Amino acid sequence: MTLTAQEVRKHVMEYLEATDCTIIEVSPLHVTVKLSPRADRMLTDRPYYWGFVERTGAAPETLSFTFVFDPEQYDHAAAQAAAPARTRSAVNQPQVSLNAEAAAEPAAAGTAPDGAPAGGPPGVSADPQDSILARYFGVVPALPRLGPGMIRREDVIYGSKRLNQIWAAARDEGKCLQLFEDPGSRQRMTLFSAAYEPWLGVCYKVEMTCDLKREELHFLGISLTTGKIATDFGSRLDRLELTPRLPENIHIQPYDLSVSGGADRLESYLTGQLAGMDYSWAEQARERLKLELSIVDLYYAELLKEPDEEKKQAIEEQYNARRTETAWQYEPQVAVSAVTYGLFHLRSS
Amino acid sequence: MTQLSRNSLPQVEGQAAPLLPVPLSFERNWLQDLESRLEKGGPWGDWKCSRLAVQGEQSGLVTSFDELQCTKHLSGLSPLPHQLDTAHKVLFEMSGRAILADEVGLGKTIEAGLILKEYLVRGLVGKVLILVPASLVLQWVRELNAKFGITAVAQKKAYSWGNDIVVASLDTAKRDPHKELLLSSEYDMLIIDEAHKLKNKKSTNYQFVQQLRKKYCLLLTATPVQNDLGELFNLITLLKPGQLGNQGDFAANFVVDKRQPKNEVQLRGELSKVMIRNRRGEGPVNFTKRKVRNIPLILSPEEKALYDGVTAFVKDTYQESGGNLSSMLSLVTLQREVCSSRDAVFITLVNLIKKLPADSPKRDRMMELLQSIRTVKTNTKAEKTMELIRDMNEKVIVFTEYRATQEYLLQYFRDHGLQCVPYSGGMNRGKKDWMMDLFRGRAQVMIATEAGGEGINLQFCHHMINFDLPWNPMRVEQRIGRVHRLGQQNDVVIYNLSTQGTIEEHILHLLHEKINMFEMVIGGLDVILERFEQKESLEKSLYKIMLEARSDEELRSSLDHIGESLSGLSQEARKESRATP
Repeated sequence: MTLTAQEVRKHVMEYLEATDCTIIEVSPLHVTVKLSPRADRMLTDRPYYWGFVERTGAAPETLSFTFVFDPEQYDHAAAQAAAPARTRSAVNQPQVSLNAEAAAEPAAAGTAPDGAPAGGPPGVSADPQDSILARYFGVVPALPRLGPGMIRREDVIYGSKRLNQIWAAARDEGKCLQLFEDPGSRQRMTLFSAAYEPWLGVCYKVEMTCDLKREELHFLGISLTTGKIATDFGSRLDRLELTPRLPENIHIQPYDLSVSGGADRLESYLTGQLAGMDYSWAEQARERLKLELSIVDLYYAELLKEPDEEKKQAIEEQYNARRTETAWQYEPQVAVSAVTYGLFHLRSS
Repeated sequence: MTQLSRNSLPQVEGQAAPLLPVPLSFERNWLQDLESRLEKGGPWGDWKCSRLAVQGEQSGLVTSFDELQCTKHLSGLSPLPHQLDTAHKVLFEMSGRAILADEVGLGKTIEAGLILKEYLVRGLVGKVLILVPASLVLQWVRELNAKFGITAVAQKKAYSWGNDIVVASLDTAKRDPHKELLLSSEYDMLIIDEAHKLKNKKSTNYQFVQQLRKKYCLLLTATPVQNDLGELFNLITLLKPGQLGNQGDFAANFVVDKRQPKNEVQLRGELSKVMIRNRRGEGPVNFTKRKVRNIPLILSPEEKALYDGVTAFVKDTYQESGGNLSSMLSLVTLQREVCSSRDAVFITLVNLIKKLPADSPKRDRMMELLQSIRTVKTNTKAEKTMELIRDMNEKVIVFTEYRATQEYLLQYFRDHGLQCVPYSGGMNRGKKDWMMDLFRGRAQVMIATEAGGEGINLQFCHHMINFDLPWNPMRVEQRIGRVHRLGQQNDVVIYNLSTQGTIEEHILHLLHEKINMFEMVIGGLDVILERFEQKESLEKSLYKIMLEARSDEELRSSLDHIGESLSGLSQEARKESRATP
């Protein structure tokens, strides 16, 4: 599954909003944002800076970015906006706007019609990777640019490091939950307190691995009161309004299951589900493994006829190593881990 | 919040734990995390973030065992069909252990990058070791980062090994203290570039790579079967021991002679299980054109006199020695150098004289030659090259076989105000990189010796000048491959300098007219050579002809004879490739 620019945009915007970042400018193609301290810690990889801020109590200066979701269209729009802007010599205006950005971008990229000299041979390259550090390390991470108006542009598309980083940050901040269904304002006025049922919800990731791999997500929930298991728990939660605070005028039904008891049930339920699946992939992988091992066995059987004891030992070592490697490569297995998990207190129906 | 747990709940219909045909493991750290947070009353995660995390996970899910995922994760790189095919094959047919043996310039690095990316996306690979020649380390790091978004790191210090994806030179890795460290770790994937350096199973390179613990493994080479079937066997044994049986079986089944396979069809079938070789001219790969300009030059009288003098000396000495070819190598060199520059001849001559006993009769003759070198004041070729470069006014790479010529040209060009940089095999890694960068940025000309031929990519330049020619066609092809490769936007112009009335003219005639090698985008050069060289290498045949010919006439007819058989073989090969699509 791949994501369109619009879907990526939605994800990024959700993250920026969830972490209280300051949006400076936004369009369907891009967003210019000043990160919140919370997001800055997660995204800019500056542990020393944040250590300094914590120890000295200095006011933190977070970084700003322009995230571009559709680079092609953005550049196109920017180039168009730049053409008239330049004739009016608006380039020098200090404010950070789409125009100023745009005027700078195409000039750097050399796409402007009256831009850089057209490919004279001894031209000095303006490649940012052409620094001494880059020559030594191959690549250097672009250093943060600080100060007013210093905003780095980044193309955020599916597969880009930044997007993966945002997801990882989201996972880090959102993996362990305790939430309550929002009863609405009417509940406060009613006489009787509402009964809430505690649920343990876990989003399992199932990884089926041999020399290849397939994955599935299973978002399961179990009521710790009744032991009832809900299979598509995630979409049930999506339909509800959830709040981290305990609402007024409700009561939570007693637990019949401990959390770990619930986890046990979920695991055995999931195991049951997994048992019903097609395992021809594993059989095929084992076939491949058997074939490979037989080739290895045959090959080394001949070599192991070596009379020299010392040499023989070396060969035997190699033989075992090769067998281990082969098993490592092909042996099928299923591993289950949790992406997110938590306690959800939902109104009893 | 206290939890009352009454175990009074009816057990869910006493089901026995169902058995899976595959080992199943549950990761349960989350439960501890949740319980400890319950105890401490938090802190609790953010619901929006949590949903985002699940959506992100959902979008990156590998939903199918057999479908390439990596292309969705790449931007700014559109792999060519043959590269995707290769990635597909390595993953789903070869289970991640393969020799990638595309011809020069078809993008083996891209293929390796695709395969690596795919395994990374699938989460099957975490720790990766990439071993390449020292001069290519930074290039690999750059390509993986820029084209594939893979955070690879160049090995610089001992702690560099701790990174997940490390690019290092094989020569560094196999030495202590690195060796011990590497042998004690496990690598999900091992990639080795220029893997033909592993053909000898007694070498330290080979034994080191054999001992490394690896799950998936890619060996990249453009010249896997250069001369010797035994070497091919070694390479495959490194990858998958036993794939071609034992050395004995292999010899019995497939080998007639070191260079001559038998049961070719069967061998090719076995090979195709572990090796992928894409060729130029197959598939819809569009290369730009090669334009060849042969520049005939007339030597100045002094130069001609020197040439004749050296030629006569070489022939006479050969006759005297009774036709012993192996000891004649330096003479052959002399003959070839005289076509390049007087500086090159001078150095070789001086070295030869030093080795002679003081009273040798040859001494006088050689001193005479030295004298005639002194009379040569101009270099016709260098002047012409200068003129060519001035006229094209673009970046150009000049290839020569000899260091002395390289030095001379550097000096000559600089005196005339041309910015130029040298590049040769003897330079260390840092200097090579530096020279490449200078050429890309500031200098208009790069002067490279043959040793600099391998592994440098100069797509940004589309002019090359063969100041002199190697006599081995594969080396000529390698030179061209530096410039004429994927990513080259322009037609490549190849200038061949040849001085009339010299051996060079004949060689150029043979390479250009007979095997049409400069324009041969239809690959297959190696096939032709392999067949031709079943008895003796082409280079050696040429040496022999050159030394034994008594007249120009005889020289011409023997060369024509070789030319005929080569063009015959090339027609044959073309027919075959048409017959088997």
